[in-house]
Amino acid sequence: MKKMCAQIALVPVIAMVGLSLPVSAAADASLETLKTQVEQLQKQLEIVQARLKEQEQRSATKEDVQQLEKEVVQASEWLSPNTLVHLAGYGDVGYTKSYGDNDDGSFRVGTFAPIFHFQYRDLVMLEAELEIEVEDDGETNTALEYLTIDVFMNDYAALVAGKFLSPIGQFRQNLHPSWINKMASAPPGFGHDGAAPVSDVGFQVRGGLPEFGGIRTSYALYAANGPTLNFEDGELEGIDAEGFNEDADGDKVFGGRIAILPISNLEIGLSGATGKAAVNKDDGEPIDIKLEGQRDYDVYGADFSYQLTSANVAWLQGLGLRGEYVKSKVGSTDKGEAASGGATWTSWYTQAAYRIPTTKIEGVVRYTDFDSAINSADQKQWGFGLNYLFSNNFIAKFNYELNDGVDNDSEADNNRFLFQLAYGF
Amino acid sequence: MKNTNRKAMKTIFSVAVGIMLSGTLSASAQAFDYPEPGDFALGAKQWADSCTRCHNLRGPNELRDDQWITTMFHMRVRAGLTGRETRNILTFIQASNNSLPSNPLMNTSDIVVSKKSSYSGKEIYDQTCIACHGPRGKGAIPGVPDLTDMNGRLSQPYDTLLINVIRGLQSPGSTMAMPPKGGNPNLSEADIRAVIDYLQSNVGSQ
Repeated sequence: MKKMCAQIALVPVIAMVGLSLPVSAAADASLETLKTQVEQLQKQLEIVQARLKEQEQRSATKEDVQQLEKEVVQASEWLSPNTLVHLAGYGDVGYTKSYGDNDDGSFRVGTFAPIFHFQYRDLVMLEAELEIEVEDDGETNTALEYLTIDVFMNDYAALVAGKFLSPIGQFRQNLHPSWINKMASAPPGFGHDGAAPVSDVGFQVRGGLPEFGGIRTSYALYAANGPTLNFEDGELEGIDAEGFNEDADGDKVFGGRIAILPISNLEIGLSGATGKAAVNKDDGEPIDIKLEGQRDYDVYGADFSYQLTSANVAWLQGLGLRGEYVKSKVGSTDKGEAASGGATWTSWYTQAAYRIPTTKIEGVVRYTDFDSAINSADQKQWGFGLNYLFSNNFIAKFNYELNDGVDNDSEADNNRFLFQLAYGF
Repeated sequence: MKNTNRKAMKTIFSVAVGIMLSGTLSASAQAFDYPEPGDFALGAKQWADSCTRCHNLRGPNELRDDQWITTMFHMRVRAGLTGRETRNILTFIQASNNSLPSNPLMNTSDIVVSKKSSYSGKEIYDQTCIACHGPRGKGAIPGVPDLTDMNGRLSQPYDTLLINVIRGLQSPGSTMAMPPKGGNPNLSEADIRAVIDYLQSNVGSQ
C-alpha cells in the first residue's frame, strides 16, 4: 500500500518535471534569439554610427560654408582684376665647337631673358626684358634689353615709350629670342654690334591700320637718341646702337617701318632711320663726344616673310621662307680726334625652314652675307640646321655653319658646330 | 637732300603723334569694357595667320585665360595688330582654352539630340573650322590632318567623327588639340552633323 502511495506521489512529480523540461528549453532558445538580435542591432548601430561620423566629416558646417563663400568671392576677384601680372621670356643652353683654332668645344649657357608684363586693363602695359648672360670668364652680365610703357591710345595706335627694340627690319624686334630663331645663332650682322641697330631710347608710335581691300598694314614710327660710334686704329670700327640713355651728340634719330600683307601669309616690310652720330670711343677709351664732328647716320632695311600654311600641295605645308636686308651708313667728318671718312655696314640673309608634316622634325637652311666696314669681320655663311621640337616652345637645335671670312686666320672664317636647347615660356 | 629727308621724317613723326593724341580723346569717350569680346571666327583665322609669321603656334591651353590677355597685348605691340584683331584672337584663344574631357569615350546615346540646324554645313565650317583646317580641308597650321586624304580622318565611322568633334581630339604631331566642338560651344548636335555631312560630301571626296 505504501509502495503504491509512493508510486502515486511520483506521478505528478514526474509529470511536472516532464512538463517543465520543454518550457525551460523554449526559454533558452528565445534568449538565444534575443541575444542574436541584440548583437545584430549592435552591429547595425555601429555601422550607422560609423556612417554618421563619415557623413559628418563629409558635410560642410555653417562655418565651412561661410569660409567657402569668402573664398569664392576672393577667387572671383582674381578672375577679373584691373591689374594683370605675367612673367614670360626664354632661355637657352648648349654646346659650341669652332673648327680651325684648336677649339675643343665648350658647353655654354646662352641667354636667360625673363620678360615682365604689368598691365592695367586695356589702357597701359609696362613690359621689360632682362638679358642675363655668362661670359667666357664666368662673369655674369645683366642688361636691360628693353623697358617700355605701352599706352594703347586707340585701336590703331600704341605709344611705346622708353628703351625699345629697333623697328628696323624683323630679326631684332621679333625673331631674336632663341625659342623663335630657327637657328642657334643670329645671322652675321644682325647680332650686337652688327649692321642692324639693336635698340634705342625714345618715343614710338606703332600699330596696325584698318584692313583695306583685303590688305593689312602695320607701321612703326619713332624718335630716339640714336647711336654712338667706335673708332679704332684710325678708322670707324662699329656702331653702338644699343639704346643709350643720353643723346650725347644732341641730335635725334627719326625712323620707322611699314609692313604690307597683300595676302595673309606674306609680309613685306620696308624700314629706315636717319639722324646724326658721333664717335665717343677711340681705341676703347672714352673721348669727349662734344668735340667730335657730327656725322650723318642712315640705316635702311627691307624684309619679307612667307609661310605656306595652307598650300595646295599638302607636303609643302610647314615651309616658311624669310629674308632681310639692312644697310647702315655713317658719313665723314674732318672735325675732332676721330676725324675720318665714312663707313658702311651691310648684311642680308635668307632662310628656309621646313617642318615635316605631322612630325616634330624641322630642317633649316640660311645664307648670310655680312659686309662690315672692318674687313676682318666680313663673313659669308651657310647655316644648316636640324631641329627637334619637343613642343612648340621647347626646341633642340643641331647646327653646322660653313663660314667664309676675308682673312683665313680670322674667327669669321672658322666653321662651327652648335647645339642648343631653347625654351620659351 | 639730306636735310630734306630729316625734315620729312620729323614731319611724319609729328603727324603720327597728332593722330595718336586725337585718338586718345575719342578712346576716352568710348570707354569700352575690358576686355571687350571679339569675333571668334575672325580670331581663329587671324590667330593662325598672324602668329605663324614669326614663331611656332602656342596652343590655347599653354596659358591661363588671364595670361593670354597680357600675352596678346604684348603681341599687339610686337606684331602690329589692331585693337580689334587683338580682341578677336583673344576671344578665340580663351574660348579654345579647354582641356579635353578625361572621362571615358562617350557613346552616341549620350549626345543630346537637337533640332535641325539653321545653318548649312559650309557656313558652320567657314565660321568655326576653317582657321585650322583651311579653306579646302588640307590644314592651315602644322600638324592638322589633311581631311582630303581618302584614307584619313573622314574615312572613320560617322559616329566616331561625331563623338570626336563633340569631345575634341588631340592629333599626333599637331600643335594643339581640336577643342570640344572646334572651340565653339554654341554648336549643337545638329550643327555638328551638318558640318560632318558637308565635309564627307565635299572635302573627303576630293
